[in-house]
Amino acid sequence: MSDDFLSRLHEEPRPEFAGRLDERLRQIGARGHDRRLVPASLRRGAPAFAGALLVGALGFAFTLEPVRAAAREFLDLFRVKRFAAVPVDPQRLARLAQSGLDLKTLVGEQVQVVVAPQPPVEVASPEAAAVDAGITARLPAVVPPGFEMAETKLSRAAEFRVRIDTAKLGALAEAAGADEIEIPAFWNGATIDVDVPAVVAVRYARAGEAGGGRRDDGYLLLQAAVPQVELPSGFDLATLGRLGLRLAGMSAEEALSFSRAIDWRTTLLVPVPVQGGTFREVEVGGRKGLMVIAQPTKVTLAEAAGPRPRPRAILLWSTDDEVFALQGPATNAGANVLEMAESVR
Amino acid sequence: MGGVRLLEWLVPSVPAEAVDWDAVYREELARVFNYFRYRGFERATAEDLTSATFEKAWRARDRYRKDRAAVSTWLLAIARNVAVDHLRRRRREVPLDDAQARDDATPETLALGESQVRRLRGLVAALPDRERELLALKYGAGATNRAIATLTGLSESNVGTILHRTVGALRGRWDEGGRT
Repeated sequence: MSDDFLSRLHEEPRPEFAGRLDERLRQIGARGHDRRLVPASLRRGAPAFAGALLVGALGFAFTLEPVRAAAREFLDLFRVKRFAAVPVDPQRLARLAQSGLDLKTLVGEQVQVVVAPQPPVEVASPEAAAVDAGITARLPAVVPPGFEMAETKLSRAAEFRVRIDTAKLGALAEAAGADEIEIPAFWNGATIDVDVPAVVAVRYARAGEAGGGRRDDGYLLLQAAVPQVELPSGFDLATLGRLGLRLAGMSAEEALSFSRAIDWRTTLLVPVPVQGGTFREVEVGGRKGLMVIAQPTKVTLAEAAGPRPRPRAILLWSTDDEVFALQGPATNAGANVLEMAESVR
Repeated sequence: MGGVRLLEWLVPSVPAEAVDWDAVYREELARVFNYFRYRGFERATAEDLTSATFEKAWRARDRYRKDRAAVSTWLLAIARNVAVDHLRRRRREVPLDDAQARDDATPETLALGESQVRRLRGLVAALPDRERELLALKYGAGATNRAIATLTGLSESNVGTILHRTVGALRGRWDEGGRT
């Protein structure tokens, strides 16, 4: 059967169009590449920023959190300068748990709460919260039309002490099938103090909806002092990080390549469940930030029966002194959130 | 697993595969453009969507992995996403109308006769979405059945069967209406 007739619709692109596009592509090539990151999703309503600072994925517990020296020999300094997304496969963690690995026990028994985290408390103003948090309040000059500041909350600092048990880390590595990772014996017994800084949260809601409104409609700006991590001399974050990446589901090769490529001393990993959504690197005030566009999952029966939640944009960035996260409805791929973030002064 | 994709996106030190991107542009421009045309988009829209496809690809080209797919297949995967995004925004494809068809006059259509081209486009536009998509990939973009299977998730034999049936039906309708 001849299908020649179908080729008759074939056209050559107009030369002027081809020329324009060629020029445009050369400009893109000359300027460098935007970097759209991995599809992923965040849980709606979860304090993503706090989640990044707290123990988001157990495998990352030692590497992701702000850690302060608990002993005199803690010398190396970790300072967050950028963020990177790491997809975590919740089903894999569930399978590990079903196979008898109790991650919570393995890690939890090694964690001592020094200063317990408290529920966020409402405070009079961002400035008042910032004083308590030991930072300078920075607020957006640009707020989406119809929105106004609704409330400010402060999550006070918390502290944890983690004692490394190499036998249990070895068990984790075995469970993850990560027998290529060798846990140094001298780590055993080392303690790390985890210091979660106070977080100031400023919520913006539609005028007249300060106490309510749709959960996926408002904006939430979080800010905290830059987490700093002091590590024992000779402590290899990359090794521990690889273990976390393997638990999250990466292959040995992927975890090794990632581990080699990332600067563990300046990059805060953001563990994200592997689902729909996109990440991309953006610039906020000349600094690199991480934009996440996530389609929230429905979390309650009432919400499940309602309209599909709107995608959320979550933007993470840092300055010399502070780290920020801004959440809001994702309009134009998060352009609204980026514009608001750019105006934070 | 997401980690695979993560690595492509997050590891800037992994060098991009050695690809002659100038050659890719020269060789793939018409294929991508015709994919959109066969999908039923008017020429101006097809140009916009083609631009969007190449711009996305160029920004992400250090993520391209030769060992995963041919660059043409990779570009078509991006093109399909661009089309889906566009349709989601527009909710419907723009049908060809007389005024637009006049704007679409090209040396090829003039040689064949505008009315015939318009009629053939109408026959293609009337196909169900899946059949039109496969046709656009096969005859617009010149993709192989294997590449189409990769892109669509259908089996290669299924792609062949659907295309055979679709082309046969189109052929019948084309012949029924005469060629002049």
